[in-house]
Amino acid sequence: MAVTNFEMLDATKDVTTTRTLLHESIPLTGTLISGTYGTFPDEGNIKNYTHGQFQSVFDYPYLSSSANHIFDITIGYDESSALSESTALSTQQSKKINMYNQFSQVLLGYTGSTNQVRKFELDLDLDESSGTVMKEAVFLNFSRLITKDQIKKGTFSITLGTASWNADGAAPFELVKTLTDSSSTATAGTTNTLGGDYGLLKENGSGVTRGIVFYQAGVVALSTSSWASIPDFLSESNEKYTIEDTFVSQSLTSSCDAFRHRVQNITFNNATEINSAIYFCRVPHNKYNHSTNPTYLSSSTIRVKSVNTDTPIAYITTIGLYSSNNELLAVAKLSEPLKKEPTNELTLRVRLDY
Amino acid sequence: MAFLDNSGDIILDAVLTETGRRRMAQGNFRIVKFGIGDDEIDYSLYDKNHASGSAYYDLEILQTPVFEAFTQVNAGINYGLLATTATDLLYLPVAKVNEKTAYGDNIAKTSGLYYVVDAAGDTSTSRISNKLSDASVNYLEGTGTGNKYILIETGLDSGFGTVPIGSSENRESYIVANNLNDTSFTVFVDNRFFSSVRGVTSNSSVNNSGGSTGTDLNYSISLTSGTPTSLSLGIENYSGYKINGIANLITYNSTDTDQDTSVIGGPRSAMTAIALVVKAGISAEYTLYGSTSNTTRLASSTIDYVDTTVYIQGNTSGAILTLPCTIVRLS
Repeated sequence: MAVTNFEMLDATKDVTTTRTLLHESIPLTGTLISGTYGTFPDEGNIKNYTHGQFQSVFDYPYLSSSANHIFDITIGYDESSALSESTALSTQQSKKINMYNQFSQVLLGYTGSTNQVRKFELDLDLDESSGTVMKEAVFLNFSRLITKDQIKKGTFSITLGTASWNADGAAPFELVKTLTDSSSTATAGTTNTLGGDYGLLKENGSGVTRGIVFYQAGVVALSTSSWASIPDFLSESNEKYTIEDTFVSQSLTSSCDAFRHRVQNITFNNATEINSAIYFCRVPHNKYNHSTNPTYLSSSTIRVKSVNTDTPIAYITTIGLYSSNNELLAVAKLSEPLKKEPTNELTLRVRLDY
Repeated sequence: MAFLDNSGDIILDAVLTETGRRRMAQGNFRIVKFGIGDDEIDYSLYDKNHASGSAYYDLEILQTPVFEAFTQVNAGINYGLLATTATDLLYLPVAKVNEKTAYGDNIAKTSGLYYVVDAAGDTSTSRISNKLSDASVNYLEGTGTGNKYILIETGLDSGFGTVPIGSSENRESYIVANNLNDTSFTVFVDNRFFSSVRGVTSNSSVNNSGGSTGTDLNYSISLTSGTPTSLSLGIENYSGYKINGIANLITYNSTDTDQDTSVIGGPRSAMTAIALVVKAGISAEYTLYGSTSNTTRLASSTIDYVDTTVYIQGNTSGAILTLPCTIVRLS
């Protein structure tokens, strides 16, 4: 039935808004990325597409409805990269260049009078100084399901195996590099670009920058420098491939597989921005002490009273928030009945999150 | 629809209703007021004679588990708390249907239902109203001009001859002085079947202070269209109509004739009458929501019918009444 007795909310005194950031810890272990749901490189939780431009990692075999998309992997290089010169040997070169350009045009935009797509850089300047431009990169773009509104600054960490290739064991992780964005904070250590803020991923110990992370976009771009010194970033059919060789001669899918084989751990905290409206529902002492509940009366007599001088009592379980047209827009339930009588006055704080 | 965890501090579990989400999508979500409910509470558990004392009177009520909030509007608050500021009330009004034959045009339910006529199936030789009369079934005409009505009374139903008796003084002191007199009612009907509701005119009157019959009943009841209201029942497809309430001036007398004209046993508050206007052109509704070519509900007739519920609420007292109705037409 309709509620006929209302208490007005004064927008200046009874309503306030707040903004809260909620964080969750997201641990992604290397075993999830490679080897848990089948034999490398054909795990059931890794989805390859006929277009071959990227690879998707799920937390469960992707044919199951229980599977959640975690992130995508792809590689790319700029057309000015030394790798793009070896056209004759290159596999899927245009796709690799396209992937690089797609990320850079969305995350960094264009520059110069001819609207050249910007290049990723391993510093915060975006001045295309020769020593810091990252013309080749591995891209990880995380699903919004796990990054939510953004990756929390200063929490991203990725551990990469940098030892020799070994398809069937943990050999790649005999040497590891852990890259973190510890130099980034909520207020410093980042640069704001078209794609949001990005921070630097530096190698623990040496402090060398080996990648960047775009917090709002949930995209990580890793430089190839982590594996620059090893001759077998990938080994296949007794052939060894450096990372540059891999980028040039291997397909995008094979390159992504090779990268997956070298991810030991990824962790970060996500952030969800919650905007709340708080309604202070003030129940005056002299009102709402009687009920229209059918059980409140017995032969028209109020059950909780014996004589008219007894204190009237009602028990609150629900608060309804209404529009001016008497439409019930939100409902709040108390976890237990709250006794209301003329001797008490209540302020019930109802928070709606958006 | 689980129970809320009540083992620790009191918490509030809040959700947007379906309407709230729709309003948000439309960009006109604006909360301006609140109401309070106690739907889970069974006040009959209040034991004011508990041997262990007053601390135990409401022990069972306070242990009532409360359901989670849910998004359906009609599952929000069905019974609100009253904002009346009086603290010395011992009685509150209730609403009842008056089916006394002393009123010429009020109808009683038949087999638990109030029949409402849809003349759309009538022919020049066969009318649903005639069929109903032949079967001794009371009915509302279902049009905007009919005379028949369902008579509703509110008041303190303390029992005939029981204190407080239904005197005019008690009406003043128990009801009017406590601002519990319903000067209007809201009738909620399913707008798929009804196009409007008619209620009493404001100059209608009823008393038992010297009529021409043995009951001393003196009444004049005529009907007028109700006013659509924004008050929401919370049930989908239901629309509200505000109708007048008139002073129920039937009072106790020494010969107990008030029992012949009123169903309220104590001081009376208000009276109203309602008639329902069936929506023109309903046809598929009988198939969708009711029954067609039925030969068992009405003897010797083949009818279509759809059952529905009409809700009436006193706008001041909050007293609630539910009327089971059926709309019938010839197949």
